[in-house]
Amino acid sequence: MNTFLHTTAGKRHLRLDPRTKFALILCTSFTLVWGMSLIGVMAVVRPALAFVPAILLLFTPRLRVGIVYGILEILCFTAEITVFQSTTGFWNLILLPVCAIITRYMPCVVAAYYMMATTTVSEFIAGMERMNVTQKIVIPLSVMFRFFPTIVREHRCINDAMRMRNITASNPVSMLEYRIVPLIAAVAKIGDELSAAALTRGFGGDVKRSNVCEIGFGVQDIIILLISFGGAFTSILAKVGLI
Amino acid sequence: MIRIENLSFYYKRGRSDAGVNNINLKINMGEVVLLCGESGCGKTTLTRLINGLVPHYYDGDIDGTVFTHGKNVQKSTLYELSRIVGSVFQNPRSQFYTVDTYSELAFGCENQGLPVDEIKKRVDETIYFMEIEHLMGRSIFDLSGGEKQKLACASVWAASPKVLVLDEPSANLDEKAIEDLRAVLEKCKSAGITIIIAEHRLYYLKGLVNRVLFMENGQITKEFDAKSFFEMKDSQRISFGLRTLTPPTLSFSESANESHSAVLSNFKFKYKHSEIGISVKKVCIYKGAITAITGHNGAGKTTLLRCLCGLEKTAEGELWLEDEVHKRKKRLKNCFLVMQDVGHQLFCESVLDEVMISMPNADKEKALALLKALDLEKFASDHPLSLSGGQKQRVAIACAVASERQVILFDEPTSGLDLRHMEAVSKVIERLAQSGKTVLVTTHDKEFIKACCHYVLHMKNGEVTANRILKEVEKV
Repeated sequence: MNTFLHTTAGKRHLRLDPRTKFALILCTSFTLVWGMSLIGVMAVVRPALAFVPAILLLFTPRLRVGIVYGILEILCFTAEITVFQSTTGFWNLILLPVCAIITRYMPCVVAAYYMMATTTVSEFIAGMERMNVTQKIVIPLSVMFRFFPTIVREHRCINDAMRMRNITASNPVSMLEYRIVPLIAAVAKIGDELSAAALTRGFGGDVKRSNVCEIGFGVQDIIILLISFGGAFTSILAKVGLI
Repeated sequence: MIRIENLSFYYKRGRSDAGVNNINLKINMGEVVLLCGESGCGKTTLTRLINGLVPHYYDGDIDGTVFTHGKNVQKSTLYELSRIVGSVFQNPRSQFYTVDTYSELAFGCENQGLPVDEIKKRVDETIYFMEIEHLMGRSIFDLSGGEKQKLACASVWAASPKVLVLDEPSANLDEKAIEDLRAVLEKCKSAGITIIIAEHRLYYLKGLVNRVLFMENGQITKEFDAKSFFEMKDSQRISFGLRTLTPPTLSFSESANESHSAVLSNFKFKYKHSEIGISVKKVCIYKGAITAITGHNGAGKTTLLRCLCGLEKTAEGELWLEDEVHKRKKRLKNCFLVMQDVGHQLFCESVLDEVMISMPNADKEKALALLKALDLEKFASDHPLSLSGGQKQRVAIACAVASERQVILFDEPTSGLDLRHMEAVSKVIERLAQSGKTVLVTTHDKEFIKACCHYVLHMKNGEVTANRILKEVEKV
């Protein structure tokens, strides 16, 4: 069946600690969204951070996403360096936002996608617990984490039903309503049942949970962490004008 | 031991589940008790009283006391109760918290805060005891319905409960999976666990349960020992509204030489990144008849329906209706699929709008007449999602009829239904066929097949392996 966002635990080749993935998402977002244009040291830092998720995805069964994303980044970074200066008017108006979205925002989304696709719920909980995050935050976040695949699947079912019934609405508002209302109803019901099931199994008690999931930093984690924090740090230095 | 004294419970408004009143019950250690009765009789509520979801998760007015293994349920927290009672629910897709099988088995023990080595030992013992080695290392999303229920039982078992509560565990399972479920329950029983099962499908529990409680309107009205219950006469069983007590069997007649009126030819489809798919060379079906599609979970039944109604874009295949070929786009316009979860296919603000939007030319009079025929006129101005499961299903059927499509497909229309509702569904489907529609139904429910289907297609590994006739189409 559909596999989008379903974690592929057990089929992975390169295993990263969930904390490394958090750090990667944070540093990528920070550096790429706030970082300066491609001059000086930033001409290395920004593309480097943007390519990390692409390379990581190559080690998962979702390597096609990685390849497509990598090619997009190459194209847009090249465009930013080369044709930006020489175009004016209309083409500049088109190129600028497209490249900005792809080189600055998309890497954050893909890094998050990488985390969703490769982290199991128990790894996620273990990672949060090691960082001493309180249960009040861990539980809702882990529910959310568990929920993304469900929402995607329910959305697909509703989409299919609309195609099958050939529903076309006169205005986009009612079209949105047709999609959102059944989705909310379905997701609320599943959420309700899921919480009930988790509670009958003792989730959320006042005892400190143990966790069988073994997480820890390896060489690969150290490399990714160095790139992430290094990139973020360099971009701060560049911003304040030290480099 | 479970002791319930003078117990009444009513849900706060906004819940359609029935409450219970005046329950007095004593269940001994190691007993296996079956709760049966029509939908809405309070079976589910009674199971929730034992595992503490009522009143700790579902609010309401409660009166009386429940003791589960010496613990007063109202005064204990859900967390304390979770160490005594394990629960398995009906819907396999919403009872797993993690996404891989090993973490799921460990989840209950982790919540108790046991040392990691102890948890690993218990999980390994559970895997051995429940014989689920083949499920390890897999994503829960890839398991079949039967495998999921087995895993649900095993993960509850790993936390070593004293009481096991199951709410319609077989609703979505095929015959083979039901046998597996029974085997798992037998293991739990032999280990001395007290088991309480609320169920519509009864035959598979013969020889397993010690006592049967029959519920009506929130009360326990009859109590049987297992022997006299399973020896009950059919007429009496039907008057109680219960499903069959013996495994249903189908007897086929020789294929008739009737001229077929619809042909599925060369349906081929494969899911991306997997070997699973269907390959159906040529199958003849009949207009005005009901054809059941049977086969194990994962045999490709639902996939065939999805390809038939044109939802799978990459599927090959043609449908011939009275010598007219239907390619995918045309099938999408001429087939209507009533989904297993009908909530997904109702969008409008009122039932009437829902039917009107399906019509090629909206006609209010006609829509109202249709609603009347399906016993839905009372609900014409209600929101479809506020209706019960059976009513929603009838709204979807009304839309199918209103759309004037020729082929109507049903995906598991009777899973989890009691006798009365199952018969109601089969009557509606029968009427569709009599009005000249071609009807295809995927189902595990042999009682339902017996009640209304004419032909039975059997699928295995994505191929149709048999096409047999069950009964003649009655000419009206």
